[in-house]
Amino acid sequence: MLNYNSPINDQKEYSEIRITEVEPIIKLNLRGKKRDFMTKIGKELSIIPPSDPNTSSGNEKFNILWLSPDEWILYSNDKSDLNNTNFLEEKLFNEVSKSKIGSITNVSDHWTMLNIKGKNTFDLLSTGCPFNFNDFKNTKGAVAQTLVNHIDVIIHNKDLNNLNLFVRRSFANHLWSWLNDSSRFF
Amino acid sequence: MFLINCPYCGERDQSEFSAGGEAHIIRPKQPTELSDDQWAEFLFMRKNIKGVQLERWNHAHGCRKWFNMVRDTSNDKIHAVYKMGEKPPIK
Amino acid sequence: MSKNLRITNDKFIDQTSRISFKFDGKTLYGFKGDTLASALLANNIHLVGRSFKYHRPRGIMTCGSEEPNAIVQVGNDASMTEPNTRATEIELYEGLVASSQNCWPSVNFDVGAVNNFFSPLIPAAFYYKTFMWPASFWEKYEYFIRKSAGLGRSPTEPDKDFYDHRYLHCDVLVIGGGISGIIAAKTAAQNNLNTVLIDDKNKLGGTTLFQQNECFKINNTYSSEWLKKEIESLNLLQNLTIKTRTTLAAYHSYNYLLARENLTDHLSLSEKQNKVRQRLWKIRAKKVIISTGAMERPLIFNNNDRPGIILSSSIKKYIDYFGVKCGQKLSLFTNNDSAYETAVSLNKSGVTVNSVIDIRDKTDSLIVRQAERLGIKIYWKHTVVNTSGYKRINSIDIMKLSDDGNEVVGKKFSEDCDCLGISGGWTPRVHLFTQSGGKLKFKDKDNVFLPDKSELEQISIGSCNGDFELDSIIKNSVESINKFLNINNNDYKNLEIVCSKELDKKNIWLLPSDKPLGKTKPFLDFQNDSTASDVKLALREGFKSIEHVKRYTTTGMGTDQGKLSNMHALGIIAETAGVKMGELGTTTFRPPYTPLTFGTIVGRNVGEFFDIIRKTPIHDWHEENKAEFENVGQWKRAWYYPKKNESMHEAVQRESKAARDSAGMLDASTLGKIDIQGSDASEFLNRVYTNAWSKLEIGKCRYGLMLNEDGMVYDDGVTTRLGENHYIMTTTTGGAANVLSKLEDYLQTEWPELDVYLTSVTDQYATVSICGPNSKKILSKVIPDLDLSDKEFPHMSFKNASINNVKCRVMRISFTGEHSYEINIQSSYGKSVWEKCFEAGKEFNITPYGTETMHLLRAEKGFIITGQDTDGTMTPVDLQMDWIISKKKYDFIGKRSLYRSDTIRDDRKQLVGLITDDPKEVLEEGAQIVSETNKQPVEMLGHVTSSYFSPNLNKSIALAVVKNGKKLKGHKMFVPMKNKTINVTITDTVFLDKDNKRLNA
Ligand SMILES: [Zn+2]
Repeated sequence: MLNYNSPINDQKEYSEIRITEVEPIIKLNLRGKKRDFMTKIGKELSIIPPSDPNTSSGNEKFNILWLSPDEWILYSNDKSDLNNTNFLEEKLFNEVSKSKIGSITNVSDHWTMLNIKGKNTFDLLSTGCPFNFNDFKNTKGAVAQTLVNHIDVIIHNKDLNNLNLFVRRSFANHLWSWLNDSSRFF
Repeated sequence: MFLINCPYCGERDQSEFSAGGEAHIIRPKQPTELSDDQWAEFLFMRKNIKGVQLERWNHAHGCRKWFNMVRDTSNDKIHAVYKMGEKPPIK
Repeated sequence: MSKNLRITNDKFIDQTSRISFKFDGKTLYGFKGDTLASALLANNIHLVGRSFKYHRPRGIMTCGSEEPNAIVQVGNDASMTEPNTRATEIELYEGLVASSQNCWPSVNFDVGAVNNFFSPLIPAAFYYKTFMWPASFWEKYEYFIRKSAGLGRSPTEPDKDFYDHRYLHCDVLVIGGGISGIIAAKTAAQNNLNTVLIDDKNKLGGTTLFQQNECFKINNTYSSEWLKKEIESLNLLQNLTIKTRTTLAAYHSYNYLLARENLTDHLSLSEKQNKVRQRLWKIRAKKVIISTGAMERPLIFNNNDRPGIILSSSIKKYIDYFGVKCGQKLSLFTNNDSAYETAVSLNKSGVTVNSVIDIRDKTDSLIVRQAERLGIKIYWKHTVVNTSGYKRINSIDIMKLSDDGNEVVGKKFSEDCDCLGISGGWTPRVHLFTQSGGKLKFKDKDNVFLPDKSELEQISIGSCNGDFELDSIIKNSVESINKFLNINNNDYKNLEIVCSKELDKKNIWLLPSDKPLGKTKPFLDFQNDSTASDVKLALREGFKSIEHVKRYTTTGMGTDQGKLSNMHALGIIAETAGVKMGELGTTTFRPPYTPLTFGTIVGRNVGEFFDIIRKTPIHDWHEENKAEFENVGQWKRAWYYPKKNESMHEAVQRESKAARDSAGMLDASTLGKIDIQGSDASEFLNRVYTNAWSKLEIGKCRYGLMLNEDGMVYDDGVTTRLGENHYIMTTTTGGAANVLSKLEDYLQTEWPELDVYLTSVTDQYATVSICGPNSKKILSKVIPDLDLSDKEFPHMSFKNASINNVKCRVMRISFTGEHSYEINIQSSYGKSVWEKCFEAGKEFNITPYGTETMHLLRAEKGFIITGQDTDGTMTPVDLQMDWIISKKKYDFIGKRSLYRSDTIRDDRKQLVGLITDDPKEVLEEGAQIVSETNKQPVEMLGHVTSSYFSPNLNKSIALAVVKNGKKLKGHKMFVPMKNKTINVTITDTVFLDKDNKRLNA
């Protein structure tokens, strides 16, 4: 058996803030420009990748977040086992990449997903993020790619004061410490 | 700190972007046909105007797309942004 | 409180809660609500510092951020002390310790004060002129100047306080909570605009807050009472955020503003604990309303800098707000109406007002009449020509002004006083407006610069926009706000406003004296000790531009940026030079408006958050096994793993030997990895690398060199063909982000026709590299079902495999020249696989090695490291890597540049090997290489790029770039060092295993 090690594996609570690392979940990077690509993804997952910037689409199982006009990230809501990832990745890779209509890349371990919850969530982000959350925070499903403490992140607004934040794994530890350090003052 | 209107993502803080120099310098399709001087013209010569300039910018920490900008370097006013491949809007 | 300088006044000061503090070692008392300045004045202390150049005694002069003199050092702890803070802005708290600056040994006896007696010898630019020659003496001068100049002490230990930053986005930002700011904030918030109101004081209301005079009424009550109700009504507004104790520090383009909020500076020492001290707000506002008010000007006359000379409006605030008398017997000296408000306030509080000296002819406004009714003596058309009193003013000399105001006439007479209030009119605070790039216009009638044109969404209202009368402030502010916010607010339309109107104006920038100018000291810049005479001298010496005069005389260059008397300096320059002030323009006000501490600027990016740290999935193992770490970009990479008492050299020698003798392992997870898919993937690689890729078989790896368009080596790495249209590219650790961005750039802009998609997967995979003659045996234990035969799995090929049911990719590639494998597995299993390999390798003494050993091993083989052996000026030909340039390909990035006249020169610097004559002598990286030692100047032919002692060859080896190096193989060269010259021989770059036998060992 190989041991699974996620970078943080922890949950912390502060005044009206809870930060948790969520793992393991499936994350796939999807890229494509052709109409066939959209149809194929829609057929396989029963969700169409959103074409409006800064938005997402989803169902009970999956979310697809807009990253750029030809790029999306898909992630699952449930923690799932490795076999599922392999299966989904292979299936989509065959349908999309091998059919030359786009690309499918497994990024489950490339991104670490943190969940931040609580009334002070957006104030916490404002300590290091230049993004204007005034409209974002009231828009369920909104997506923002921006910087938090100079580190690239993808932020997905799940619910009122409840968001998922993706950070590249090698930065996860540093960002985690930084978020925790910031939270002390709330 | 500018506020830049990414043609794909909307208004964002300048810290999300990186600048890429003068716009509309097309890489020659047949470099081998060019003289040293012609190649040097493409490689090295940039305008760097005081006034309205066409520039390349990349939304590096957002959608990663390159786009063009009409910016007045004398007062940093951004007159317009437009996508790659599009003609510069008249000032 | 020796003399009774406090009057009963409980509106703003809590006179029931006494606070003790220390100033210059003496324990004193004040009340809650005091500033340090008001508490000192209540203790009859005016003398608080010495001036910068002449060390003249200086006292508190203002009650706000423009204070030039009362600059003190706060705190006495090595880590908490802060220099250059303004006593007028420090709120008093229990335990405050403050001391005077710029005086030695004490404020009362100051050695530097001899400068004052020699002051005719210290004219403008004295320091520049005198200490310029000889240059070698500067060190000696500097020591004495610095010691006696004393601009406060810097803390010597790290700041223990916490600071943080917040971003804030709003529809409307209102700067300044005086009467117009309050109207603006209320109007905006009532109209559903997300509004922020900031003010640098602890209470909103500005000067109207304590205006209790019958001459200024709104709807039949004092203007202060009316305003208080307005302030109370702000609390009901949902859309409004109010931040007091918050100073707008900088106003940049695109309405990006920085404000410093003081959170704990007013709290007692125990209450400050574990709280954020100051917060820097980074504000992005759609619209900005500036309502920063105006500040009073001093008057420029002989000896106008003595302690006890205070701005008249400040005296009013000290009595009406703080309940502090600035003296027992005051005189007031003015050119406008506002000093009469002070006279009336003082009189009502029972303070003796000797007289008001007014340079104007008799005028008859409401407020002047009120003063006259109270029996206050007024000297019309008179001026103060001199003052006396060394550490505190004790008398003034007065004379009548001539009709043209250029000289004094009649008999000089004196008046005793212990405080002189001065008022030279008002200067709108346009600093923020100009910081934001706005252009000013000059209004001759009032002698003020006012906001004119701006490119930004902003307006200035109230007295910072030149409105000085209560009724016009309200009327014009409301009008501008309505227009700016595109609304129609009628709330303030029918107010009944009574106010005294100034009927007469007269301005003399430099007041005449009975002595000639050279014999007088009319100070302009109090902090930097420059006088009107200095400015005139500069003009005589030929300086014309105000920016030059400013630097030459240092007028306006103190920590206060000359807020107080900049206008006088401009006025005197304009007059002397005979130009109009509007044409002269003003000097630039630069951010920050008031000084910021470094702590506030840095925020929380200190200590562990100074820079971003990236860690590999195997990082914890390296830490547990006592690795030393090296910073590579933002990554922390294992550098070497010292065993007990081992030095770095010993550890690296041991690691390097083990890797060649048996087996070594390296964490290579930091290498950049880019997943490439799409039907044009092969064509894309053809265009970005120098070599050809179309014929690379699926399952094979190839080394590639990437150039810039200028032909210089940019990055390198191994790319593997995973499928027909699927590759994975590796880049250098440091180059990963730039390579991806560059490739995306080409795809998006130059070759949009290519069907290629790039996705970064650097963090997706952990990479465990195993090398050495026993690597095959170790891998076969880890992945038993993988056929490792050279036929099935040759060098430069890859296999899909799995370890305990976890998929992985194994590449047989080598950066050490040894038989070696790289296992790429999803990051979460990286550490586990690393441990598994370590366990499997134990019987072969597998040795983890770090970046230093990796560098040594590859140098033995002459493999380059881009960025170490290349520096952006090396072509592949310079690197003797001609073999990697495809002759068949029509084009690739940088190809055309490889045959520019400069790149085909024979005598370019080229990569070579170096062997020292003494095999024990290890060269220093960066050392210069020459061909002869006794010629001067000697020609530098090149330098050492990589240098190591090779334990496998038992000798020193180095890589270097040398002019014409290819042709110099076998030649002797010299490396001159500080104490010796090292003899070296140029060799081939490959030192070990020239025919690559070990790869298949
Ligand atoms: Zn964008």
